[in-house]
Order: sequence, then C-alpha cells, then structure tokens
Amino acid sequence: MSYIIACYKWVVDEADIRINPDLSIDTKKSKGKISDYDKNAIEAAVQAANILGGKSLGLTFGGPETRLSLKDALSRGPAEGCWISTGEAAKADAAVTAKALAAAIQKISDVSLVFCAEGASDTYARQTAPRIGAILDWPVVTSVSKLDIEGSTLTAVRKLDDCLQTVKVDLPAVVSVLPEINDAPIPGLKAVLAAGKKPVTEIKAEELGIDFSPKTDVTEIKGYLMNRKNIILSEGEAADKVKELAAYLRKEGVL
Amino acid sequence: MSEEEKFDVIIIGAGPAGSSCAYTLAREGKSVLMIERGDTPGSKNVTGGRFYTYALEMLDSGLYEEAALERKVTHEQIMLLSGDRSISIDYHEPGFNTGGEAPMSYTILRANFDEWLAEKAEEMGAMLACGIRVEELIERDGKIVGVRAGEDEMYADVVVAADGVNSFMAQKAGLIKDIEAHTVGVGVKEVIELPARTIEERFNLKEGEGAARMILGCTEGIHGGGFLYTNQDSISLGCVFMPAKAAERGKTIHEIFQDFKMHPSIHPLLQGGLTVEYGAHLVSEAGYRGIPRKIYREGFLMVGDAAGFVINTGYSIRGIDLAMLSGIAAARAIIDAENTAEVGPQYLKELDEIKIIPAMKAADGFFDVLETPGLYDKMPNLANDVFNNLFTVDGGVPGSIKKDVMRLIKENGLSMWQLIKFGLKGVKSL
Ligand SMILES: Cc1cc2nc3c(=O)[nH]c(=O)nc-3n(C[C@H](O)[C@H](O)[C@H](O)COP(=O)(O)OP(=O)(O)OC[C@H]3O[C@@H](n4cnc5c(N)ncnc54)[C@H](O)[C@@H]3O)c2cc1C
Repeated sequence: MSYIIACYKWVVDEADIRINPDLSIDTKKSKGKISDYDKNAIEAAVQAANILGGKSLGLTFGGPETRLSLKDALSRGPAEGCWISTGEAAKADAAVTAKALAAAIQKISDVSLVFCAEGASDTYARQTAPRIGAILDWPVVTSVSKLDIEGSTLTAVRKLDDCLQTVKVDLPAVVSVLPEINDAPIPGLKAVLAAGKKPVTEIKAEELGIDFSPKTDVTEIKGYLMNRKNIILSEGEAADKVKELAAYLRKEGVL
Repeated sequence: MSEEEKFDVIIIGAGPAGSSCAYTLAREGKSVLMIERGDTPGSKNVTGGRFYTYALEMLDSGLYEEAALERKVTHEQIMLLSGDRSISIDYHEPGFNTGGEAPMSYTILRANFDEWLAEKAEEMGAMLACGIRVEELIERDGKIVGVRAGEDEMYADVVVAADGVNSFMAQKAGLIKDIEAHTVGVGVKEVIELPARTIEERFNLKEGEGAARMILGCTEGIHGGGFLYTNQDSISLGCVFMPAKAAERGKTIHEIFQDFKMHPSIHPLLQGGLTVEYGAHLVSEAGYRGIPRKIYREGFLMVGDAAGFVINTGYSIRGIDLAMLSGIAAARAIIDAENTAEVGPQYLKELDEIKIIPAMKAADGFFDVLETPGLYDKMPNLANDVFNNLFTVDGGVPGSIKKDVMRLIKENGLSMWQLIKFGLKGVKSL
C-alpha cells in the first residue's frame, strides 16, 4: 500500500513570543505547536489516503523537542508518524529542510503523494514543497485551494492573485495547500488515545547521508516597531485638510 | 465494548487532585485515563500560589526535589491596609524550611506545576488526553460506567471527578446542585514579571527564598482578602471576594483589584513589572460545611475542589495539598476495594485516615470568624489608626493610650464588646 505523506513543522507558538524593549526576541516561555496550516496539509493527506486506499503518514524534521509533536499530529488522523531527528534542524534553511524531507520520502519509497502547507506559520518561506518536488523530480502544484483525485490523476484548483487556475498532474506529486482546502477537525477523545498507539519511525540524520550545512545563515532575529509619524491634521477647512493629507501622502510616496 | 475502550479508572481533570490520583493508581498497575480540557494541564488553572510540600512527600518521597516549584517560603507576612496606610508584619525564619526534611512550603505557578505533575503520572503509566472536555457521564443500572466527550464514549470501573470547584461532573451525577453564591469566592490574579534580583531586593529575600503575604483591607469592605506570592522571576498578586457582597458595591471586582495594585504600599513592589497573565477563578470558601453531603456513588468519586476540600483560615489557604491528598485517598480506596460498591465507603475511610476530614472539621470555626462584620474595613482601619496614634509626635502632651484606643474603637463604629466577641470567636476556632 502506498504512502500519502503530510510534511509538518513543529514551530514556536507565536502567541507566547515576546518582544523585549530592545527588540530582541524572547522565546523562553514559548511552547511548541504544529504550524497552523500544516493541520490542513495533514487533513488533506488523510482524505487523499482514503480516496487512494493508501496509508497516511505524518513526516516532520526537527530537534529533540519535535518528539512532542507526534502525538498531536497522529491524533489528527495519519496512520503512522515519521520523525527525522537532528539538532541540525534548528539552523536548517529551506534547502536543507527540503533535502532532509525528500531523502526521508525516498527512504519510505512507496509514496504516491506528498502534502505541505503553502507556508509555515513562523517563516512562511513557501519553499518546502517546490524544493522537495525539484529534488524528487515530481510535479509540484502550489497554492491549492481545492483538490480531486481520480485514479492516479490529481486535479487541483490553484488560487492565484485574481484568478483560479485548474491543473492536472499524474501521481506521484507534491502539493502545497492553502488553509481553505479543508476544515482540519479538532481531534476527539478516541483519536487522541489512538494516537499514542500508532507506529512512529525515528530516522536518525546520519541514515539519510545528506549534508546538513545550510547555505543561508540566520544572523539575527529582531522584533520591529512601526514608527508612526503621529501627524494630526486638525486645523482648517475640511477641503484644506484633505489637500494637506494628499500632499503628505505624496511626499511619503504612498500616492 | 472492546478492551481499547475500557479502563480501570477514568479521571476527569488533570489538576493536582486528578494527577495525584492517576499517579498512585498507575504506580499500582491500574489502567488509568486522565482527560483534561486544557491544551496542557494547568494552562488555564488559577491559584494563589503557595503549595505545602508534605502532600508531594505523601505521593512519593523525594518527589518535591524535582518538582516545578518557585521559591521556598521563609517569610510569612500579614498586611493590613486602610486608605493609603498599611501595617505589615513579617515573620521571618531562615531555618523554617530546613533540617533535612522537605521544606514546608513553596510558591508555585500552576501552568508549570500541573504540567509537571501530570507528566509524572504519565511516567507511571497513566494515559493523558488533553484538549478534550468531558460532557456527560454514562450511567447503567444506577452505576456510573463511563464518560462521553463529543462523539466518543469511554468506559471504566470507576470515574473520578477531579474537575475542580463547582464540579459539572458531580452535578451530572446528581450529587451537587449549582453553586450557592455564599459558599464561593471569586479570585482574580495577575502574574507580574520582574527580574529575580529585583524581587529579592524588594522583599529582602535570599536567593531561592520567598515571601507569602496575606492582605486584609484591600477589598473595600467586601468579605475577602488579597494575597501576594513571590515566584522565581514574577509576583503573583490577587484578591478573593465574596461575589454576593461585591455585587452591592458600585465598583467591579476588576476595578477594586486595580485600585489595590495602585496602593502606595503595593505599587512600589510591582513597579517596572510586566503583567504576563490575568486570570479569574472560583474558590470554595465554606470549608467543612461546604463538603457535599455525598461525595460518591457507585462507580463515581469526587476529589479535590470538586468535593469542596479547601481550608481558608484568612491567614492561609490550602486547596492544592488537600486536592492531592484526596486524590491519593481515592486511589487507595480503588486499589483496596474488592468491588465498585465498596469503593465509596472505603474512600471516606481513607479521607479520614489521610486527615483531610479531621483537618477540615478543626478549621470549621474560621468560617464564622471570617463572617465577622467589620473585619474587612473597620478593623484594619482601627489597627492603622492605633498605629497612627502610637507614632504621632507633635509636641503636644500625649494622651493615655488606653483612652485613645477606646476613642478610636468608637470612631470606627466598633465597640469593645464586638472586639472581645471577635477575639473569643477567634480563640475558639483555633
Ligand atoms: C485565587 C485563588 C487562590 C488560591 N490560592 C491557593 C493557595 O495559595 N494555595 C493552595 O493550596 N490553594 C489555593 N487555592 C485553591 C486551589 O487552587 C484549589 O483548591 C486546587 O486547584 C484544587 O485542585 P483540583 O485538582 O481539585 O482542581 P483544579 O485545579 O481546578 O483542576 C481541575 C482540572 O479539571 C479540568 N476540567 C474541568 N472540567 C473538565 C471537563 N469537563 N473535562 C475535562 N477536564 C475538565 C480543568 O481544566 C482543570 O485542569 C486558590 C484558589 C484560587 C481561585
């Protein structure tokens, strides 16, 4: 039976991130969570597995803290979990991440479809799906808001800036989905309990034989503040105020 | 029903009561499922912040050494506020908490403590399902046999309600009615972050040591009081009010609490801090007489706040430790009983043995003491007036202290007789 894989990322919950007065970022108190849109990718994989008669699998790449993610991910429906475990993940760039995921997908071998979310809720780089597709030399469909599978053909509706594009690809393929693709359900009691019993494979980084050195180094992460100009136009006639406002906006290059 | 859907025990709520019960049961090899509605245990739980360590020792000796605790309490403080004045008493005993034994009490933050304790129960083999709210009990032939959450049903020989004050599960089991306003207080609390060093300087603490302060006179005369606990790098500050009385005042509880924060004796302690948490929660105030008439039926037990196990003496509040003890008592009863019919009566015996019921009986008198009129405004004001009198030097001829005090008693709308009665009631309740 072939695998339908959902790639997901264990990210820092942005609700717990604090920006200090010096704009440095404080994540000391932050907990992890599955990147929000990845929940839709997981649900898409579960649904596709039902249609294709395959097995859904949640795949993640991360450091030791990522172990916590598996129970949560599996309570959302996948039949199996797989975790590429390495501390290297912390400084991985999109290229390394995609290399690791693609290598794991090749290792799992019998894979007919890979789902990613369009972007992760921390970096939203939108690179994972295209890069995995490139490494595997599979078709890639991004920005997918609707999906149909018949036999080994996948029809996807892509949501572009101002139009909808429908494309057809043969499986295997890599698809990145938008959150509107489905309603990711909140797991119920039985699903949560079942998650603890599902098989999880841990792949050690060394087994994949890839180079984890990133080509992009993050040198700094800082918060930013909007610097408001705090100009209030309160004097004079309405018509003059509007004129003045327009002048300011032109000066700022907004108009 | 399949094996997969049946446990020896299902525990609703992973607070201190639930996790202690689960820990004890799992250690004895029982199959246990804990169901918690929060995404993580303790994430939404509100407490003051002091925990008496002996309860952890009772769960497993030495456990406290790795527990998620904040500061060891070596400063016990009482504060009386009146207007912008205050009297503070600081009982400091550096050795209060040494001597080879477990220190007596620690300040705690529930989000950390509850999560840690639930994890311990999991390590013992209990299952924990978070993010799930139990909605119904399943009853068969007059017995509780399981729970329902959403679409899912799960069965057990015994269901333990550890779901906290105003237990919805105990209501479902028909053992309690909806709460009565005079038996519960409303607690509001903020956690205010400050650097550890700043806290140590402001409260005159050694590293790792902490202060626990009860405050009278910060509730605008409403039955209730304030508390302040120093955590490692934050301060827990809160107030508990009897809601019935609060409703008669023009101000909201939140407003009174904000005024309390701005009090000239409180604000400097908090200055520069950042409020990182605000919470409100009910707290059981009725003590022994607040325990429901029946706290079990076949297949069903109530533990912790669900059973009303809180002792509030006005100068200390004990709920977390009693919650843990009752969880342990319930587990022991389940382990020892031959059949489900025996569990309930056995539980009562265990509660007696573990000293919850006797301790609550002994503290019962405090309920009346705390009902004393004037306790929350006139008396703290009188105390401050007396101090004002004592410390006033203006070049005049000082009056007789006794006469002055009598005058002040009168000015505060109190009588000597009332104070004697209060004193006697206080002594009687000790
Ligand atoms: C403001 C305030 C200050 C206090 N100060 C102190 C203090 O300093 N020291 C002290 O010892 N005690 C203090 N207490 C009392 C103490 O907090 C409680 O007695 C104690 O928390 C009781 O523990 P418990 O496990 O019984 O219930 P809780 O701690 O209330 O835990 C109940 C758990 O059940 C879960 N739950 C509820 N319903 C459901 C459901 N239907 N399905 C699934 N899960 C559910 C909840 O999410 C929660 O995690 C204070 C209380 C308040 C409100």
